[in-house]
Amino acid sequence: MTENVKKSSAAAILLAWLLVGIPLGWGVYNTLLNSLKLFQATPAPTAAAK
Amino acid sequence: MAFLSFLDRERSIAQPGYSRWLVPPAALAIHLCIGQVYAFSVFKIPLTQAIGITKSVPGDWTQSQLAWIFSLAIVMLGLSAAVFGKWLEHAGPRKAMFASATCFALGFFISYFGVISHQLWLIYFGYGFVGGIGLGLGYISPVSTLIKWFPDRPGLATGMAIMGFGGGAMIGSPLAIKLMAYFRTPGDVGVAPAFLAMGALYFLLMMFGVFTIRVPRDGWKPETWIAAAKPQKLITSHNVEVNTAFTTVQFWLLWIVLCTNVTAGIGILEQASPMIQELFKGSIGPVAAGGFVGLLSLFNMAGRFFWASTSDFIGRRPTYFIFFTVGAVLYYLLPKTGADYLNSVTLFVGISAVLLSMYGGGFATIPAYLRDLFGTYHVSAIHGRLLTAWSVAGVLGPVMVNYMREYAIARGADKASAYQTVLRIMAALLVIGFVANLLVRPVSEKYWLPEEKKPIEQMA
Repeated sequence: MTENVKKSSAAAILLAWLLVGIPLGWGVYNTLLNSLKLFQATPAPTAAAK
Repeated sequence: MAFLSFLDRERSIAQPGYSRWLVPPAALAIHLCIGQVYAFSVFKIPLTQAIGITKSVPGDWTQSQLAWIFSLAIVMLGLSAAVFGKWLEHAGPRKAMFASATCFALGFFISYFGVISHQLWLIYFGYGFVGGIGLGLGYISPVSTLIKWFPDRPGLATGMAIMGFGGGAMIGSPLAIKLMAYFRTPGDVGVAPAFLAMGALYFLLMMFGVFTIRVPRDGWKPETWIAAAKPQKLITSHNVEVNTAFTTVQFWLLWIVLCTNVTAGIGILEQASPMIQELFKGSIGPVAAGGFVGLLSLFNMAGRFFWASTSDFIGRRPTYFIFFTVGAVLYYLLPKTGADYLNSVTLFVGISAVLLSMYGGGFATIPAYLRDLFGTYHVSAIHGRLLTAWSVAGVLGPVMVNYMREYAIARGADKASAYQTVLRIMAALLVIGFVANLLVRPVSEKYWLPEEKKPIEQMA
């Protein structure tokens, strides 16, 4: 007798990943924006160097 | 209660055809939510102005009073993970995740009443105590399930989930800021309704995890995977019960490994903003330092996934050897990048980023290391007990950094060079971790679970 196997659909898997991926992506995007402030810092004055 | 029977382990056994790739998002749904705890500090300033609205007035809470909320939550995380781990193995991940979601959301709701009635003890009890239990249950609940679904890539699987804990703060912080701004009125700082909204939103996302998670049926293994005929020396095919594991040398060696790695990482995290400003005085201000902290959190998260996945290929012990050798050298070199020596912000940021990736990697690789040594039978429970190392490191790291720094300054060192002392101590801590990792040996046969108690999926 053949067992009736109901496979998880690719759409369901994609949806599941989107459900967690979208908020995570939004959080990473916000953090990246915040991180950019480091690279927009005023250049170091030469006097600061030894 | 009959209506909660859908939470039973038996009801969450996967039917044939269920894709194991649905399990990591279910686990991520939990970790992304509970990771919010690291963003709790965004509520601190508004909470200090709950009465005065635009500024703190007499009767408003102080920052030091509010700091206990986070500390209590983290202590409860460690305690609940240690206490409820064994129950979780018996009850199954779905019930544990449901309990976690309920406690975590309830913590926000109780805190809502704490804010509107201005009763700080209600926030301690709500977010700190009840929410903290939700954190501990949620942190360990998907671990053994993921390892059972991914016997071929346990590091990758647990790395994905624990990466979510790092990512949770990145979501929690902007979400809280936007919600407080939305609910803010001339007479309200907006924290209370933000608590209600976050409790509800997090509960919903965690319910997605609850309903999606499945445990593999007996005897299941990946179609294309064949267990190694001759396992590697440090990967057991046997199981050790949690109470027995607790008495082994291996458990305590891994406890030291985790504790030293986390303590050293917290040393940077705790001082990241003032450290970069003091080492590069005049060139890095508070705004750029804030960007540096954000960058570190990205590397902390990415490191969890990268190092845990890498450990599947190079092994768990070599992965920690990298953390402890490379880490010790980098901690030693870090202060030399400052304005008094190399004067390279790029080098300082690069080294710090690598160090933070290894800090996150340490958290994410430990469940797979435990699985290698103690098997899958009680791996979540053993992991729960090992997390007490995190609780200790959470206190030890900041105390060591602050105390040692103040001591160096008191002895005449300037602020920048005081970091040298602190970071050398962190490097020494990693040497202790290296020795502990070096001493790890396979668990003796006398600790193995008898064959008849072995989980069925391993006997297949």
